[in-house]
Amino acid sequence: MPDSLSAALATLRSRYGPQALRRGGSAEESGTWSTTVPVLDDVLTPGGIPRGRITLLAPAGRGPSGRLTLLQSLLALASRSHDTAYVDLAGTLDPGFLADLGADLAACLVISPGPERWERGLVMARALVTSGMPWVGIALGWAQPRPALWEHALATIAEAVAKRGAICVIAAPAPVAAPLRHASSLTLVCASAGWQRANGDVSGLRVRLTTGKNKLGAPGAEAHLLLRYPRPYATAEMLGLPSVVVPRLQPSAAPEAWGLRGARPPHVAARG
Amino acid sequence: MRVLCARHPHLGLIAALRRYPELRGEPVIVGGAPELRLPVIAASEAAQAAGVRVGQPLRQAQQICPAAVFVALDPAGIARLRAAVCAELHRLSPTVEAGDEEAFGDLSGRHAEFPDEASWASALARGLRGVLDVEIAVGVAGSRFVARLAAGVSHPGRIRRIRAGDEALFLAPLPLDVLPVDPAVTARLAAFGLDCLGAVASLAPADLQRQFGPDGLRLHRLARGDDSAGIQPGPVRRSWSERLVLEGATGDLEILLRGARRCIAALGDRLTALGLAAAEVSVTFELEDAEAIATSAVPAAPPGNAAELWTAALGLLGQLRPRAPVTAVRVGVTGLAPASGRQADLLRPGDGAREAVAATAERLRVRFGAATVRRPRLAVDPGDLPERRFTWEAPLPVGSAP
Repeated sequence: MPDSLSAALATLRSRYGPQALRRGGSAEESGTWSTTVPVLDDVLTPGGIPRGRITLLAPAGRGPSGRLTLLQSLLALASRSHDTAYVDLAGTLDPGFLADLGADLAACLVISPGPERWERGLVMARALVTSGMPWVGIALGWAQPRPALWEHALATIAEAVAKRGAICVIAAPAPVAAPLRHASSLTLVCASAGWQRANGDVSGLRVRLTTGKNKLGAPGAEAHLLLRYPRPYATAEMLGLPSVVVPRLQPSAAPEAWGLRGARPPHVAARG
Repeated sequence: MRVLCARHPHLGLIAALRRYPELRGEPVIVGGAPELRLPVIAASEAAQAAGVRVGQPLRQAQQICPAAVFVALDPAGIARLRAAVCAELHRLSPTVEAGDEEAFGDLSGRHAEFPDEASWASALARGLRGVLDVEIAVGVAGSRFVARLAAGVSHPGRIRRIRAGDEALFLAPLPLDVLPVDPAVTARLAAFGLDCLGAVASLAPADLQRQFGPDGLRLHRLARGDDSAGIQPGPVRRSWSERLVLEGATGDLEILLRGARRCIAALGDRLTALGLAAAEVSVTFELEDAEAIATSAVPAAPPGNAAELWTAALGLLGQLRPRAPVTAVRVGVTGLAPASGRQADLLRPGDGAREAVAATAERLRVRFGAATVRRPRLAVDPGDLPERRFTWEAPLPVGSAP
């Protein structure tokens, strides 16, 4: 390999992370959890959500962003193959909704430390991860501590997650605290791209996802998801058909462009 | 093989102090009244400090320590303590043995919950300390003989670990009287000028065999830390059953299920308490004016608690179709053997740590309140209101009743 090429590769790796460049046909990364959602596994985070790292779901701005629905959808997916814990600091969890998303509730442990008890919630999450809980989702509420208090709590939970190789996904409201942005290895910025309507009713939320930070690969990838809301009170149907997170279908777009950068639907772009 | 040996005070002494807690710190001698022509079975630290030794006549012990309190041996209390020790060791070790003053556990291989042998041994020691409520001295080594000696040189509350391959090095300076052989053999070795195990180990096996016959080879192996005794688990009962007589003969499936569940809960609690698992499960319906019908099955994984037992019995209950009203339900378990831990679901990540997670959840509930850690469950009859679609329940620890 020429020296200039080696130097260029080293520069790219140092700038975008060791996973930014890979040889074609190499084995799939074992340090990831495959969500089975192609747009997430292939585009945003190569291989899936990283293990032993903190993944952050951050909103692009004020207003609905779909981050909590996405977090709960991921939890529902994970609960079918892992034991999971959901730390509800936002106080918004509806277990019935989780069930509608197809979650195996027997594998879901819900931690409700109480409103504005963020420190207690993080301590409990860390204790569970340390004892071997393989998948933890943390939904942060609007009440956030001072950055100095964040740092210690986040450092300890990041250490526990790294040590146990657990999957930790945190959904935080805007503005995201600097220590949290720093602690995350992968930051997915969620922005609402409009409601999905069917027969005059809201049937889901279209979300534009951007990898704002990625220590394991190149940041900047962008994709669209449709978070389809389950039909309410259709328990039996939802138990049998648990599927919510699906890539946005674009009849006009080429299939290979789904979820890729720049594959924004025309009507979404027109709405701004 | 790796063996853990935990040395603790005699179970008879612990049982006596549990029965009479006011005697803690006092000179206590276990064995019976001093008038009896019996030996001392165990003595407390205070009695030993006064000169009382295990094995000496009780009358002599009274002369040495007139202030001592003499307590009769409590076989039932000892049996309960031994069962509790076995159950605690079985929680983390597949093969265990509990004696009066020492307990052994198999530490071969790896445990999913612990990164290394040291933390595994620490967890076992903590568990035993919790059961017996005394400090214990622990030794870990590659054989039973060396583990016992390591525990002997360890101190209460400490673990002495002999790394694999270092057994001969550890044994070399020890005196000959630690060898579990006839004292005459030890005296003969000393007559040859051998004063420590290292000297015995340095001899050729053939020389020892010439002098002592087959025992010579065993001496040589022991001196090098090679002991084939292993861990000898005690015998256990082979079968148990629980029978529930119904208040009236019935064919109602719901009542039969409830009856079977009560039997299973009782059996599961007994299995869990003694750390046992059943190889076979049977369910019998006694019928009114008809012969009883029964069925049995060998579950894929031996059930060791009520939840696993219920899962195994559910299939059997579906097979039984009583032709007449049922008067009694009987659930039986046979082929009882020490449970060697729960078989983890290899295809479910994190399943090996489920017990640890359940224990942590329980600790968090105790510390922060029962409402902070819960598990949602879909309601059977949800109704119209969203908040009635689910109920909250405590995270069930593994092994609890269904």
